[in-house]
This record gives sequence, structure tokens and C-alpha cells, in this order.
Amino acid sequence: MTLFKQIAIILSIFLIIILSTVMVLNFSSANESVQKRLFEDAKNTASSLSLSLGSANGDIAMMSTMINANYDSGNYQFISLVDVDGLILYRRDSETKNLNVPDWFISLLNITAPIASANVSAGWSPIGLLNVQSDVSYAYEQLYTILNNLLISFAILAFIGLIVLNLLLHAILKPLKKVQLQAEAIARNEFIIQEKIPYTKEFKDVVLGMNNMVRKVKAMFDKGNEELKRQKEMEYIDPSTKLRNRKYLIDKLPEYLKIDAESKGGINIMIAFSGVIEANEKLGHRDVDKLFLTMATIFNTYSLNYKNSIVARMNGTEFSILLPECSDEAGLKIAEGIHESVTKVIAELDLCTEVTFISLGLYEYNYTQNIAQLLSRSDNALAQAKFSPSNIYLERAEDTTEVMGKDAWRMIINKAIARNGFSFMSYKAVDAKTKKEVHNALSISMNVDNEIYYFGQFMAPANQAGLGSSIYTKILDMMFMQPDMKLQSSTCSLRLPFDFLNSKDTYEHMNELFNAHAQKLPFKLIIEMPDKLVRQNSESMKLYKKLLDKHNIGLAIFEFIGESTDYQYLQDLRPTYIKGEKDYFLGQSEQGLSALKLITESIGIDLIATSVMDMETLHALREKDITIIQGRATEML
Amino acid sequence: MILRAILLLFLLFNALYAKPYVDKGTLKKITKKYKMFAKKRFYYLQITLDGVKNGTDMEKLQAVNEFYNGVRYSPDIKVYKKKDYWATPYEFLGKDAGDCEDYVIAKYFALIYLGVDSKKLYFTYVRSTKFKAPHMVLTYFKTPRSEPLILDNNNRRIFPASKRKDLIPIYNFNGDSLYKAGKSGTGKKLKKQKSHKKWDQLKENMKKKKI
Repeated sequence: MTLFKQIAIILSIFLIIILSTVMVLNFSSANESVQKRLFEDAKNTASSLSLSLGSANGDIAMMSTMINANYDSGNYQFISLVDVDGLILYRRDSETKNLNVPDWFISLLNITAPIASANVSAGWSPIGLLNVQSDVSYAYEQLYTILNNLLISFAILAFIGLIVLNLLLHAILKPLKKVQLQAEAIARNEFIIQEKIPYTKEFKDVVLGMNNMVRKVKAMFDKGNEELKRQKEMEYIDPSTKLRNRKYLIDKLPEYLKIDAESKGGINIMIAFSGVIEANEKLGHRDVDKLFLTMATIFNTYSLNYKNSIVARMNGTEFSILLPECSDEAGLKIAEGIHESVTKVIAELDLCTEVTFISLGLYEYNYTQNIAQLLSRSDNALAQAKFSPSNIYLERAEDTTEVMGKDAWRMIINKAIARNGFSFMSYKAVDAKTKKEVHNALSISMNVDNEIYYFGQFMAPANQAGLGSSIYTKILDMMFMQPDMKLQSSTCSLRLPFDFLNSKDTYEHMNELFNAHAQKLPFKLIIEMPDKLVRQNSESMKLYKKLLDKHNIGLAIFEFIGESTDYQYLQDLRPTYIKGEKDYFLGQSEQGLSALKLITESIGIDLIATSVMDMETLHALREKDITIIQGRATEML
Repeated sequence: MILRAILLLFLLFNALYAKPYVDKGTLKKITKKYKMFAKKRFYYLQITLDGVKNGTDMEKLQAVNEFYNGVRYSPDIKVYKKKDYWATPYEFLGKDAGDCEDYVIAKYFALIYLGVDSKKLYFTYVRSTKFKAPHMVLTYFKTPRSEPLILDNNNRRIFPASKRKDLIPIYNFNGDSLYKAGKSGTGKKLKKQKSHKKWDQLKENMKKKKI
């Protein structure tokens, strides 16, 4: 219960007790006053009537008439005349009246008017005693009216009092509300500085303390950010040509060589510069560096038309150009163009083009290969190129024998989409330190006509057939509309690819789906998005973040290699965790990793290493303080 | 012989240890306020009352009437600076002055002290034809229907009502009977039941032993 509610309840009870007490006292006072009035009236009547009766000289008939006259003119319960021996000489009693007051009120008050008495005498001799009692019905009616008026006044006062109390409490506790919002923001790892310092000392101290803490955490984040940016330059950029380096290419290649890669393949060109010693001797190191810079410009120019291309300097004299979605013909044309341009530049520098030249080995890669395969085959092509008269050589990939043709895959996948033929498989992400499961990473399998197809089998053909987005749309629908109850009360992650998320239709669809079904989801869901998309921190990314926050769905990052120029996006989007290939973490320098950890720990982001297959890798990761892992090694814990 | 001796011892004990009309504390205060003569007046009062303690009602009436009629008459406005005030017997004898109501009150409480039944005593408002003024006397009824005896401060002797042609009775009241009648009502009572304003005030003053 909030402090506001607690104070409001206590003060409301206090106010109601005060008002009730005032009302009870008022009513008691009115009650006593009315009863006193009853006696005073009776006493006055008794005194005046007893004097009148004295003039009747003991004539009972005359005295009875006088008593009748008095009785009829006023409100009396009874008037009696008792002689000196205690015998009743005359008595008038009122009949039972129907009162306009409820029975509970009469039984609650139970008023009996006091009896007033006066001596009656005739001359010297006393005749007896006159007793008068006022009628209580008038008192009941009057007191009931008073009670009603008091209750109405009390209700109005209580209502006004509670409204005023509410307004006052809101005004007094307004700074506390802001303190609470700030505290909640801190819990969410948001950095909010409260500019308006409250006047109340206690609140002021708390706000100043929290502001100070937030500033420190923010400074920590900024320091980590700066450090990581600096490290990134040292790690991934070749200082003389400003091209990417070999490490970058290796860290980046997993994104290109995976089942659901954006492109199914392309051309990798390995370029070797021969005759560097001669060039150095003739031109000097500085001009040779300028030559490399010119060559880098040429490489960049030729790769410009290819989306997601990578130009990297592998070592002092070797370069690599990765051109996704590039055909062998186009690749050869580019290689010829580059060769021609570089040869021209070499010639212009008066260098002998037979001694100083470049060789270009082209390798036609596809997504199914691994990094080692791609690099060794590219090296092989380069070696062939060096001996080729044109210094260009193209090595084609072996024809992969497809079990099924594209049309057959298309038919099966469409059938699976139509029949909801997908199911989820989960792989654990485990904290090696605590040996506790962090979440279940969900993968999908396809079941059509009693045949099970795993993700690695069907996703690539699906992408080639342009059905990737349809599959992800379907599995999202299935996850929200027919949730797997086996996953109840667990935390699950679902990885969604760049192309699917980058489509505007996906956001619209997710919005509708989440609005309709997210509340009923029986498990905590975290949606993993590629770093390539998240780091853009675009408007659409902000919309995704807002949508996920609204439905209490987590956001996480995968394929992280820390290539952003600014890590502010981590602070803005505050993902639950960041997943990176084990090689990325293992290849990080101590400074680079500690800068990354400074950032992530300051805003509560976990780091998770994927593809951890053995205990040796796990130990290496633990030495770098990366404890949460995913991969076959989780089964060995 | 033994019976007479026990009776004698009882009377002696009664004389020595009977509760005085004015207790020691009150008497001390009276002495302090009204000086030595006042103390002597109360001393003589006690002797007078003790003298008729075992007498008949008539002897008690005469002794009390005679004693108090020795106090000088003085209107309330002169003694108490009030138009009408019912003084306690302590004030009346302490100041050695008072008006007709004060004589009646003093005589009434003295007679009650002597054991006269309160039902037989009435405060009677009368009109004095001689002075052509309102007046009050104490009336004694031997039985409820017998002719009353008049204890008056103007006429020092006690006469039956029929011999007091100079007085016209207006109204009789007996404070105790009013109070008892009021108490006979049932149900919830007012905290301070009242029956006669002056009488109630006097009873309050008597309780406080106002001097």
C-alpha cells in the first residue's frame, strides 16, 4: 500500500472520529437540553396550576376542571392531584400516540420526562400534591429532526473534509511522487535527474542523494562508452588505410555464414600486393602508405554498390573484399576493374608493374560454409591468382546437392504455414556461476506429413523462396494464440531476424497481436533483435521498444560485436541482455571487455556468450568474467 | 432497677456523644468569620436544642420559635445586598439578622434536627394584613388534616391558624415532599433534579455548609 493511501486512511479515520464525536456531543447536548425543557415546562405548569387550584378551596370538581383546562392546552403525559394521604384525587393521562420517528430511535433514547410536583393548599390546609409530566413525543420528534440535520451536516462536512484532505495530501506528497518515479526509473536503469528539488527536508535529502547516485552511474556509463569507442577503433580499424581489419572480418563473418543469413552467398576477393619491398625502396614508406590509401579508396569504390559489403586489410600486403549477393561474373568484372585501376596507379608512381602488382583471388562462397572454409578457399584462390597471367582467379564453390528443389521446399513450407505445422524447441541459457537456468532460447522445427524438419534444414530454402517472414509471422501467431503450456511460468527468448523486423508490416502485425493476446501469454517472453537493427536506434526501433514495454515483453540483442560508434542506444533501449558469439568475447582485449562491462553493468544488462560447445571455452570465458552461456557446454554443467 | 440504670447510661451517652447541630469545623469557621459573639449564639442554640431534645413536638416548637425570634429582623437588601435571599441557618445566626424566610428556614432545620417529621412542616407564603406586605411563616401540622400552628417572627408566640386573622395564607410548600415526589418518576433522570428554585439553592448551600 502506498504511503499516500496509508496517510489518507489514517487521516480519514481521524477526521471521521472527530466529526462523529462532535456529532455525538451535539446530539447529547440537544438531548439533555430537550429533556431539561420538558421538566422546566412541567415545573412551571405545576407551580402556576397549584396556585390556581388553591383558589378552589378544596372543591374537587372545580380543581378537575382547572386541571382539564391546563391539560388540554398543553403537551402533557399526565397531570395528577394526590391528597395528603397519597390517594389520587384526579388524574389525566395521554393516549398512546403514533410518532413520526422510527422504533429504533425510541428504544435507543428511551426518554422519560421527569415529574414536576407542587403543593396544593386551600387556605392554611394542604390539599395534596400536584404532579405534572410533559409529553415525550414532542421531544422524540424534535430530537429525531436534530439527529437528521446533524447527520446531513456531518455527511456534507465529512465529504468536504475528505476532498480537502485529499487535495492537501496530494500537494504535500507531490514531491514524494516524483521521488518514487525517480526511484522506479533507477530500478529500470534509467538515468533521470530531478531538477526540481523538494522543499521538505527529508524529501530534499533523498532527491539530492538519488540525483548524485544517478550522476555517478551516468558518468560510469559515459566513461565506458568513450572507452569502448576508443577500443573499437583500435580493435577493428587499420590505422593507415582506415579500412576494417582481419579481426573485424572474422567477428562479422558469422552474420553472413548462417542458415538464416540475409544473403545466401556472394564473392570474397582476396587481394595480395606484391613487390612491396621494391616499392618501399623506390618510393619510401610514406608514399607506399599513400599508395595503400589510394588502393583502399579504389576497393571501397568498387564495393559501394553491394549492401553489407566488407573491405578489410588482412595484413600488411593483403586485403579482402566481401561482396554479398555478388555473382561470379560481376565479381570478375570488379576484380578486373580493381586490377586495372591499381595497376594504373602503380604505373603512375613509376613503379615496375611486373614487380609491383596486385593479385586477386575470387572465391564464390555460400552461407553454409564456415569461416575457416571461406578463408582457406579464398587463400587458395589467391595463390592460384598469383600464378595466373591475369593475376585474377575465380574459385567456384562446389555445387551443393540439394535433396529437394526450391519448388518442393516452397510447397512443404506453405503447407506448414497453412496447417500451423511448426513447434518450438528450447535450448537453455545457463549462468555457469550459479548453474541456474537464465532463460530458454526457443528454436523452431517444422512438421509436415509426419516428417520433421529442423530449423537448419528448412530456413535457408525458406529464405530463398521468400517465405522467411511468413514463417516468423506464423510462429508469432502460434506463440501468442496457442501458447505452449509446457513453457508456463518460465522465461523464453525468441530470435527474430533483421529483415523480418525491418518490415513495417511486422510492427503493425505485432502491435495487433500483442494487444489482443499478450496479456494471456503464460510465460515471460524476451524478443531478441540483431544488434545491426537495434544500434540504429531508429524511430521504428523506439516503437518496438515502446510496444514491448507496454506488454511487459523483454528486448534483447544478438549478433553483438560492438561495432557501434556510440553505445547510447544501450542506455536508451536498455535490453535485458546482449548475446555475442563466444569468439567475439574471447577475442576482446581486457580494456575493450572491461569498457563493455562498465556500460552493461551500469544499466543492468547481462552478457551472454553463444555457441559455447566445450568446457575449455567455458573456462576461457569465465576467466574473462563472462558467465552466462548458451550452447552444448550448458549440458556439461 | 437495671432497666433504669441502662436508660440513664443511654441518656448520658446520648448527651455526651450525640451529633451537635453545628459541627466543630463549621463552628470554627463561623467563629473566624463572625467572631466570638456568634460562637456564643451557636453555643446557646445548642443548649436550647439539647434542652428539648427529648421533649414533645410542642416543646420543641416553642423552644426553637423563642430562640430564633430573638434574632433581629433585617431585610435582605441590607444584610446580603440582594433583593431576596434565602440564608442558611449558619448565615442567619452568624449575622444575627435576617428577614422572614430566614427565620422560617432556621426554625425548620432546627426542628428537623430535633426529630420533628418534615412532613408536618410547611413553608407558607402569607399576606400580612397588619403590615400589608407579603410574608412567610413556618406552619406545623400535627396531622395532615389538623389545624396548623403558626411560627411567626412578627408575633413571638405560637398560635393556631384560626387565631391569626392578620395573616392570609397564599401557598404552602414542603421542599422534602416535592423532592420525594420528583424522585418517584421512573426512567432516565436529569442529572440535577430540581423541584423549587429557592429551595434547591438552599439545599445546595446547606450541603456546602455556607456561612
